[in-house]
Amino acid sequence: MVASINNNNSLAYNLSNFTVLVVEDSLYMQTLISSMLKVFGVGDIVVCSDGVEARELLTIMQARSQSRYVNSVDIVLTDWLMPNGSGSELLEWVRNNEKDSIRFLPMVVVSGYTTEKLTHEARDLGANETLVKPISGNLLAARICSVIDNPRPFIRSSNFFGPDRRRQQTLIDGEDRRKSRPNIVEKQV
Amino acid sequence: MSKEDDKVEVYKRRNMLKNKLGMGVRTNEQGHLDQEKIDEADQLIAALCVDCIETLGENLDKLSSIWAEMKDISPSAERENKAQQIFTLAHEIKDVSALCGYTLAAYFAESLRDYIGQTAYELKNQRIIIQAHIDALNVIQKNNIKDDAGPAAIELKKMVKVAIDKY
Repeated sequence: MVASINNNNSLAYNLSNFTVLVVEDSLYMQTLISSMLKVFGVGDIVVCSDGVEARELLTIMQARSQSRYVNSVDIVLTDWLMPNGSGSELLEWVRNNEKDSIRFLPMVVVSGYTTEKLTHEARDLGANETLVKPISGNLLAARICSVIDNPRPFIRSSNFFGPDRRRQQTLIDGEDRRKSRPNIVEKQV
Repeated sequence: MSKEDDKVEVYKRRNMLKNKLGMGVRTNEQGHLDQEKIDEADQLIAALCVDCIETLGENLDKLSSIWAEMKDISPSAERENKAQQIFTLAHEIKDVSALCGYTLAAYFAESLRDYIGQTAYELKNQRIIIQAHIDALNVIQKNNIKDDAGPAAIELKKMVKVAIDKY
């Protein structure tokens, strides 16, 4: 249920029906992120400490996505650098998974590894959002709202599967001079 | 390029997250999280940071003892394992310090994390560079230094740079 409407006529989200998986090896950050999500009103917060554990959990939890009575994961927040199964390996596994309930999962990479290379790598592996640490209430809220409000269409090409990497749909003035175009097939899922 | 290579499939999915919020799956309405909740989350961070310097001290003790074991081990799986433990601890120190505004500690922890991952160093070289980082972090912890640009920060950075440049 949507909670309330504020003065700007924007809806205040009630996340009590949401299940968020937090994949983070640092106990300190695990505690912090899950406490923040609790404050945001997220109904179910599942925590695990590395990518390997996350894969096992997702395999079990997403198998029940059709059930009315048990929750499956809605959003994954994953650290990037973890000793046992990194964020990049997890992301790759998710986007290459044969199950729709896993491969279309919204993935937010939360990392203190602040390089442009990481942002590009995460994007090219199919991350929906990247949140650079240090984390704050506003940053985390913004990423969650972005995943809810702006779900980009998923693209499958010969070398990529994930949310459309082009965030802006800019109109180009003048003649379209592209010599070849991809054969675009649209699917409603 | 074959026709298959050329093919791009676009999946336009129903927005099931909005469905969970009780909104239509095709709605373009946007929402927000209550500012009060966001402020409360920031207060959580502030509360956790009260103990930051103690947490930094505990992590540094662990790191120092792993380093004491690691530094005399010749290249081997055991040494790799110790290096991995230091990498993880340095990464955690970096995260926690940055979160709590200890930017100088975050700076050295990040640098330590990156150096420990470089196995190409001769043992002696690595030993001196790593020790310089740990010493700097200990000074920061003992003196509760937050500032990344003050005289203490400049001196500590110079000290570590000397070790790096020398080796």
